[in-house]
Amino acid sequence: MSFAIAGSLDEALAALAVGARPIAGGTDLVVGARQGKAPLPASLVAIDRLDELAHIESRDRGIRIGAMVTHSQLMIDQMIVSGYTALADAAALVGSPSTRNIGTLGGNVMNASPAMDTGAPLMVLGAVAQLRSARGSRTVELSDLWTGPGQTSAETEELCVAIDLPPRPARSGSAYVRLEYRRAMEIAIVGAAASVTLADDGTILGGAVALSAVAPTIIEVDDAGALMTGHLPDAAAAAVATAASDVARPISDLRASDTYRRHTVGVMAARAVDAAARRAAGEEIGVPVNRAIGVGASR
Amino acid sequence: MPLLTESKVFIRPDGPDKVTGSGRYVADITLTGMLTAKFLYAGISHAEIIRLDVSAARRVPGVLAVLTHEDVPERRFGSIADRTLFAKDVVRFEGEVVAAVAAIDAEAAQKALDAVVVEYKPLQVVTDLEEAIADGAPLVHEGWADYEAANVERNGNVASFTSMTRGDVEKGMAQADHVVFGRYVADATHAAPIEPRGVLAQWEGDRVTIWSSTQVPFQARDGVCETLDLPTNRVRIIVPHMGGGFGGKCGFHYEAHVAALARVARRPVRLVFSRREEFIAPDRRREGMIIEITTGLKSDGTLTARRVRVLLDNGAYSADSSFFPHMAAMHTLGPYKIDNIHAEAFSIYTNHQPSGSVRAPTAPQTCWALESHTDELAAVVGMDPVAFRQQNCIDTGETGVAGQVYDEIGLQECIREAVSGIDYGQDLEDDEAIGVAVGWWPSFPGASGAFVKIDRDGKGVITTGAQECGTGSVMTLPILAAAELGMEPEDFELVYQDTSVAPYDEGATGSQTILNNGRATVEAARQIAVQLKNLAAKKLEASPDDIVLADGRAHVAGSPESAVSIVELAGVAAGGELLLGKGSGTPPEYPSAVGVACVGDQGLSGWAGPQFSCHAVKIRLDRETGVVRVLDVSAAHDSGVIINPIGASGQVEGGVMMGIGQALTEGTVYDEDGAQKNPAFLDYKLQTMADAPPIRVHFAEVHTPNMGPHGSKPIAEAPNVATAAAISNAITKLTGQPVPRLPMTAQRVWETMRGGGDG
Repeated sequence: MSFAIAGSLDEALAALAVGARPIAGGTDLVVGARQGKAPLPASLVAIDRLDELAHIESRDRGIRIGAMVTHSQLMIDQMIVSGYTALADAAALVGSPSTRNIGTLGGNVMNASPAMDTGAPLMVLGAVAQLRSARGSRTVELSDLWTGPGQTSAETEELCVAIDLPPRPARSGSAYVRLEYRRAMEIAIVGAAASVTLADDGTILGGAVALSAVAPTIIEVDDAGALMTGHLPDAAAAAVATAASDVARPISDLRASDTYRRHTVGVMAARAVDAAARRAAGEEIGVPVNRAIGVGASR
Repeated sequence: MPLLTESKVFIRPDGPDKVTGSGRYVADITLTGMLTAKFLYAGISHAEIIRLDVSAARRVPGVLAVLTHEDVPERRFGSIADRTLFAKDVVRFEGEVVAAVAAIDAEAAQKALDAVVVEYKPLQVVTDLEEAIADGAPLVHEGWADYEAANVERNGNVASFTSMTRGDVEKGMAQADHVVFGRYVADATHAAPIEPRGVLAQWEGDRVTIWSSTQVPFQARDGVCETLDLPTNRVRIIVPHMGGGFGGKCGFHYEAHVAALARVARRPVRLVFSRREEFIAPDRRREGMIIEITTGLKSDGTLTARRVRVLLDNGAYSADSSFFPHMAAMHTLGPYKIDNIHAEAFSIYTNHQPSGSVRAPTAPQTCWALESHTDELAAVVGMDPVAFRQQNCIDTGETGVAGQVYDEIGLQECIREAVSGIDYGQDLEDDEAIGVAVGWWPSFPGASGAFVKIDRDGKGVITTGAQECGTGSVMTLPILAAAELGMEPEDFELVYQDTSVAPYDEGATGSQTILNNGRATVEAARQIAVQLKNLAAKKLEASPDDIVLADGRAHVAGSPESAVSIVELAGVAAGGELLLGKGSGTPPEYPSAVGVACVGDQGLSGWAGPQFSCHAVKIRLDRETGVVRVLDVSAAHDSGVIINPIGASGQVEGGVMMGIGQALTEGTVYDEDGAQKNPAFLDYKLQTMADAPPIRVHFAEVHTPNMGPHGSKPIAEAPNVATAAAISNAITKLTGQPVPRLPMTAQRVWETMRGGGDG
């Protein structure tokens, strides 16, 4: 087994080109290996010292979040909390303080777990992934990136270096809520993110809803925007709940039955729409929504 | 007079070590040349071993010992002698040890395990309790008629059995205006201590020292002696700091396996469990149950008869579970006034992990069932559930279900204080409710010993056989010694957790440390008190009978100015008859229970020093998801006089949190082949600090004669009895009907509200 510490992005990409796998926080890779899920790769390149990937930058068109940005950074960063609140909601719910301190957004995205918390918020916020390899860069839509549980369309030599988010329209809000059985060290049973933009009359101008842990990947509720547009948030939330339950393809496992997941993902979707609309209307709802207004075990 | 003044905060002596991280646990100890041990587990729940060949494993580089049943004496052990150190011929649960290896590192040990050749012929797996006792069921132990066991009737898969009868249950049912039946099913749970167990063994000549994270070092020693044919004085068990037990580290576990490995390897060998191993392998799991209760009552709420049937999942082997049927029967009958009872309880062999004592064994599940049933009874006759309990629960001088007449007890005070502590009549939101439940738990008098000495500077050492499992009980012994000698708790150091140094103790099991070792320590300290009084009498020219020990001095009663310091007396003694005390303390006798026929009984005739409790819990239910959140808890306990209030309150708080977990999120899930599906903390969900509600604690300090020191009773297990039951009763107020299965997970609550579910 070999382990190399990359001193620069180019070194990291060169290592990937010859078969190494990247390791950042290791919260999925190392824990998974310990639990016997998958052995550690034979060759690892550590990217945790690549400071250039650890920043959140404001750009001409939106923001760029470096792949090494941790969940702890995301949950308190003012740009994220004020403009991309659903992502802060999700980051604040991940694992424990130590997981959040060391686990990175790039790692969460590329681990491609259908139960990942940051995925649904990124999707409704219109995020794209920036992939780099020794041969060049490309931009990938998240819906094209995630192909199955733990699977992405990225080549093995490609490294996710950043997530780009477009600017937020005026009178927009977002929220991520998840079903949880306890208040810490929890994993999503189901979860839902919503982004909502309001018209001046308080009806919904447009938006999006995405779901966690009810399909092989994070999925978007395709017709959510159409269902919400022109409606007041209450009616929109009810319509989205039904649509979310319909589009869900959950499995039965230890954490919940498919029937229960299908029902509760609708509940989460409605609550996400409600919180997102209230935030869009200017209401201050703290991060994470689960703690602020009460979802499941939280209030 | 309280033992500690209110202004006095007693800092437990092991606290700073544990809080700062400087304390050492088994996994922190390294000896020169030490090897790593690993076990090969069956990995199949019921099978015949067709072939077992370890020759290739022995050839793996770096491997110094590989053992199977062939390498240790053929000995069966357990409360029913139904198990061996290593599987021979048949494996009966997935975590049964088939082989053990010791190697220079974990990787070499793993390679050796991979090289063991073992072939199985699968046998029919027994997992369902009702099917296991049906005619023609496959037997978990084909040959168990030959096992040694006291007072056990051999009958199919029934490992142990209790029946209790008092009065005439048919007649009592006939007198009833209402007969109510309830059936409740509880999943198995785990003790889940934060420290997975570790064992380290080192031989010097023909003597072995074993460092083990055990709650019961003397039982562990005796297990090693029994299985490896050694006298007690050649086996020394030392327990460094232990990271919690909750019963899961009671009993004899892997000390003999590791000692046997170390003897063959001629090197120290250390075993440290992974979390998965901690879940699947030990014979300590809180058993799953099926509980059926039928109660007859009159329209005025008077209970006329109760019939109960309890099936307990014994698992594949019997650790200490043979007294569980009796405990389950008593808890399902409850601390109520009923003249006509009939109870039957069966502990049934299955191919699951063995059951064993986990904090208040059998009580949380049976209390949950009985107290859910009790709220149903109150509803049937239109009474408030609290008033119903106040009417029917036993009080001082009254006769309980087993015919035992209770001395001074505080159950009624517990009910009163628990409901007042939570403001029972308060206005609630429509998604909130308060549930109330009562519980009880016996005390376990037993043998124990302590030495106390005072050295030349007036400082003392208590050498005790008692084991500190994290509760702080051993840490409380200095309070007791100091009270006898007019000294301060801080004047005493403790030497403990070493079987070759201290006298016998049954260990941190059955909440008995203060009850038994406390009495031993008091007796030892009293011997020194006599010595000090004699020395002081000489010095002060008074009668020893008139000497009072207080505030670090000996003075003549009525003349505090005529005094000599204990330091000075200690100096005198150091040049002559040393200040030495030893105590064992005569255990209190078990009270008798009148009119009870016990068949195949492994339990207690009556309950010595029963502890009582009432828990009141306020919850909020998320009706759209079934998620229940506990908002507030009020817990009142009769554990007699409280010796160390901080420690006792901590026990109640911890017991309540464990109870919330059992109520809502903790449950072991088995697949149809008998294997655990969630042997990890991701999907076996303990409650976290973030989930903890405010917990108000009240102690009904009834002075209890003939029990623990200073009128005390035990406290460690009792707080883990009634919480799940109280939560159930709160949930039922919001759902309209009880959730019939424990834990009452969000999904099960939601399914109950929809009127369906898997039961």
